[in-house]
Formats: sequence, structure tokens, C-alpha cells
Amino acid sequence: MKAFLLFPFGLLFSAACQGWIFTEPLPVTSVQVRGIFHHLDSSGRRNIAVSADTVSVIWEDDRDGTPRVYLAHKPLTEGQFSEPLQISGAGEAFEPSLVAVDDKRLAAAWEEDGRVRVRLIASGRLGKTIDAGEEESAQAALFDAGEALYLARSVREGRYSRIRLAVISTGTRLDARLESDCPVDRKEPTDEQLYPVPAAVADELVVAWEDRRPGHTIIMAAASGRGDPCAFSEPVRISKRSGGTRNLPYGKGHGVSRVTLAPFGASGLYAIWEDKRNFREGYDIYGALYLGKGQFDDNARVQDDFGEMAKQWHASLGGDAEGRLIAAWSDEREGNSDIFLSVWSGGQWNESTPLSSASGSVQQAHPSIVLDAAGNLHAAWVERDEVNGPTRLLYSFGKAE
Amino acid sequence: MPGPVGLFQYCHVGLLCALAVFCAGYSVAWADPPENYPFQSFDKAMHQARSEGRPLFVYFGRYGCGYCEKTNKEAFSDAGVRQRYAEHYALAYVDAESGKRLRLPSGERITERELGTRYQAFVTPVFSFLTPEGEILGRMVGVQSKESLLVADDQVQAVLRQ
Repeated sequence: MKAFLLFPFGLLFSAACQGWIFTEPLPVTSVQVRGIFHHLDSSGRRNIAVSADTVSVIWEDDRDGTPRVYLAHKPLTEGQFSEPLQISGAGEAFEPSLVAVDDKRLAAAWEEDGRVRVRLIASGRLGKTIDAGEEESAQAALFDAGEALYLARSVREGRYSRIRLAVISTGTRLDARLESDCPVDRKEPTDEQLYPVPAAVADELVVAWEDRRPGHTIIMAAASGRGDPCAFSEPVRISKRSGGTRNLPYGKGHGVSRVTLAPFGASGLYAIWEDKRNFREGYDIYGALYLGKGQFDDNARVQDDFGEMAKQWHASLGGDAEGRLIAAWSDEREGNSDIFLSVWSGGQWNESTPLSSASGSVQQAHPSIVLDAAGNLHAAWVERDEVNGPTRLLYSFGKAE
Repeated sequence: MPGPVGLFQYCHVGLLCALAVFCAGYSVAWADPPENYPFQSFDKAMHQARSEGRPLFVYFGRYGCGYCEKTNKEAFSDAGVRQRYAEHYALAYVDAESGKRLRLPSGERITERELGTRYQAFVTPVFSFLTPEGEILGRMVGVQSKESLLVADDQVQAVLRQ
């Protein structure tokens, strides 16, 4: 039995404590039937964006038998999303990323037929799709820094994948153009570099990613000047070594997975990821505060002690200019998967509470969140009645208190 | 540490699916299956299991996993284990951190990482025995000895004979 059923008033109280009052879930798409599976799984979990007074969600499903990327949007004041707009082309498409470019436009990036592609979108009109290079690439993540649109992706270079960052020119219309494109780590990769995410803070541009160079997966990051993505600092390891009690003569280290970044306030930047340093109970959510000049602070566990014996997955992070920072993830502490939240406050992560509209007796997972200019929290997630059942793609609006 | 019988739990849960899976798209790094075994990707092993009527043995590992390496070197290195597992099973290796894509018979596309979540492979290694139809016969969690692998094989074969 879920806490939702046992303690409904407690849940409402918890939701209010986080600083947002959430609406009932809304379907993002009406195509939610057996045999259709929706995926919110972009690198950095950037599947939702707010542009002026419109919220948009991007996802992949295979409603016509081929995995394709779709987008739906709605004005904040309306109670229904638009009919889905197909964003990808004729090929198999995966892992779309979305970002607001300005008050009128969005940018989407996705993998299609083995290459990352980008296009601009405005009021249901689609710009021309461009290829981000000729090489095999995947795991796209976008960030709009005002002066430029940045695209991070993992590009196959021989034996290994390497993280590259491109600057996309957006002009004022719907024509995107690739301006520059450089590897984030200037040294040739010695193992896989995967699932990158870019963000800008103050006068710096930071890219974080999964890196397997030490023989296991770690989170690494490098920084460059904004507008100068070809001059990154030497990459540093963000995810610290585990302090395990048992020294095996085997293995290289613990596992980590799927980093994301969010700027907050005038100069804040935070990274969170899934971390298996306490491996007996699966992944936990860990994070680190950016200190500037390519350096990160010590690691902090994001979820609270009550989640220590449960599995956490799918970390998403949202920040705003006022300094709010909130983390969301899938959490199995109550027996099946719910969406949990924690707020960064006073230099630490508050207690973890379920997102009231995304918890209960069914499975809720794969959150993607964003804060708008007024501090309202927008959340999309995937829901299903049972682990292997068909999925529903849902959205909830969290009004800032 | 519990004995091998304690470690091996029968489930008989009609799982997740009848997992005829195929793989598509972008490939990423593989972790480390034991040497000199015919481990394959999950889709190929499932195809083999179905075509040959053999059960499936799925090894959920992770790149750099110490307990996987220990099991590989101290248990899977045994010639008797190698012979029994190579003869009795279609062998699948799943990197529980990988973004490699699979598609289930239900039509759902998931990654190896998400497949690991479905099989509760939240630690590594986890070893699952499946029927060719994808039903779980049993699983073992954590480091295994040569003896525990041989006992588990005995138990699975006994179940299949019933």
C-alpha cells in the first residue's frame, strides 16, 4: 500500500513544503494505448521546456511502428496539449532534447539513423533539419545560453565515442546553422565518453559526461569560456571514489550513470547523477556544486536517508535565475516507482518528498523537469499500471507558492 | 555468506515478457563477460535459446565491476563450469549501464540499462536463468563460487526435467 493511500494529507503537506502546489496530471498525448511506449530519455533528461507562456514536451514513441520524435505544447492557462507534431524525419529516431531559444522559438535535437539532428520550432512551424556533422553520433543535449545555442553529443571516432560540443547559430528565424564544433577533451579518448550535458554559468560554459577511462564509469567535466567552445580546460573527475569497506583485488571502481546539469541564481551550477557507491541497494542520486574554473565541490547525496535502502533512477534537475534549484528522480522506497523531489536550500538538499501528482499505486518514472521565469515547476513523466504495461505520458504544473 | 542453495531462488514468475529481443542502433561499450565462454548479446542469445530449445543464462554485469571480475576469475574459470554452462544454456551478457537498445516482443524499446532494472539487476553481478520463452527459473545475486554455479545448474536442469 502506498503512502499516497495511507497518508493523503501528509502528501499534500509535503508537496506544499517543497514550495509548489501541483495540478492533477494531464496527458501530453492522447495516443496512450497497448503497444505504444513513450520515452523521455534524452541525455541530461531535457525533454520539457517553457517559452514565454507555452510549455512543450518532446518524446519518442513508435505509434506507427517506427520510433519517431514528437512534440506537444500548450499555453500555461489551457488544460490540454496540442496534437503531437512529428519532429523527426523518416528514419528511426531516439532520445530527443528540447530547449527554449527565446520567447517564440524552441530547439530540438535527436538521434536519427545514427546521426544527431537539430531543428528550430515556432508555433507549430518547423525549421529545416540540419545534421550535426557527418559522423555517427548520439545522445544529444541542448543548452541555450542567450548568446549561442550549444549542442553536446557523443560522436563515434574509431573505437571509442568522444564528446563534442557544437555552437548552433539560430538567428531570428527558423534556420539553424552549425557554426563550430570541437571535442571537449582535446586528448584522444582512451575509452568511451557518453551521455554529455552542457550548461552555462556566469562567463563559463561547462560540459559534463560519463567517461570510462579509468576502467569503470565516472562522471567528468570540463569548462570553457562562453562563446569559445574550443578551449576547454583539462577534464576533471566529478564523481568521487567510493569509500568501500572491502578491498577487492578485482574491479576498477563503482558505477555511475547519466549526469545532468542546471544553472541557478546568478552564478550557481549543480551536477547530479546516479551513483552506485553504496552498491547493495542500487543507484542513489549524488551531486556536486560547481566551484568555477572547471572545479566541483565534494559529492553530496541528494536523496534523504529514508531512500538509502531503495533504488533511485533517472535524475533530472531544474534551476532558475532567482536561485531555486530542484532535483527529481524515480524512487522505489515505497515499493514501486514514484517521482520524488528535493530542493537545494541553505547549501544542502532538503528531505525527499513525492511529487503528489506523480506518486501512487502505479509506476511513475523518467521525470523531466524545468522551472519557468516565475519559479513554477513543470514536470513530465512516464506512467504505467504495471512494469511491462503500456505507458502514459503525463504532465503536471507546480505553481510556485 | 549464504550457501549456494540459499542464493538461488526459484521464481516461476512469468516475467516481463517472452523476450524475443532484437537490437538496434548505436552501439556503446561492453563490459567484461568471462573469457572463453560463448556469451552473446541478449538478442542473439534469446534467438539461440528459442531455436535450440535451450534455457537462457543472463549475466548482468557492469564495466569495471569488481565482484564480476572475482566471479569470472574464481568461478567461471573452472573447466567444469565452462563445459556445463556452454552446453546447457544460451549465454547472454548485459552491461547494466549500457545505452544499447533492445526491443521486447511487446514492441517496447528499452536499453540494456533499463532491461537490468526490469530484472532487478540493481547490483552487479546478477545471474538469471530463463526459459526460452523468457520465464525466470531462478537468479543468483553477487559473487558466485564454482560450487554455487554448479549447484544452480543442477537445480535448473532438474526443474526443466520435471
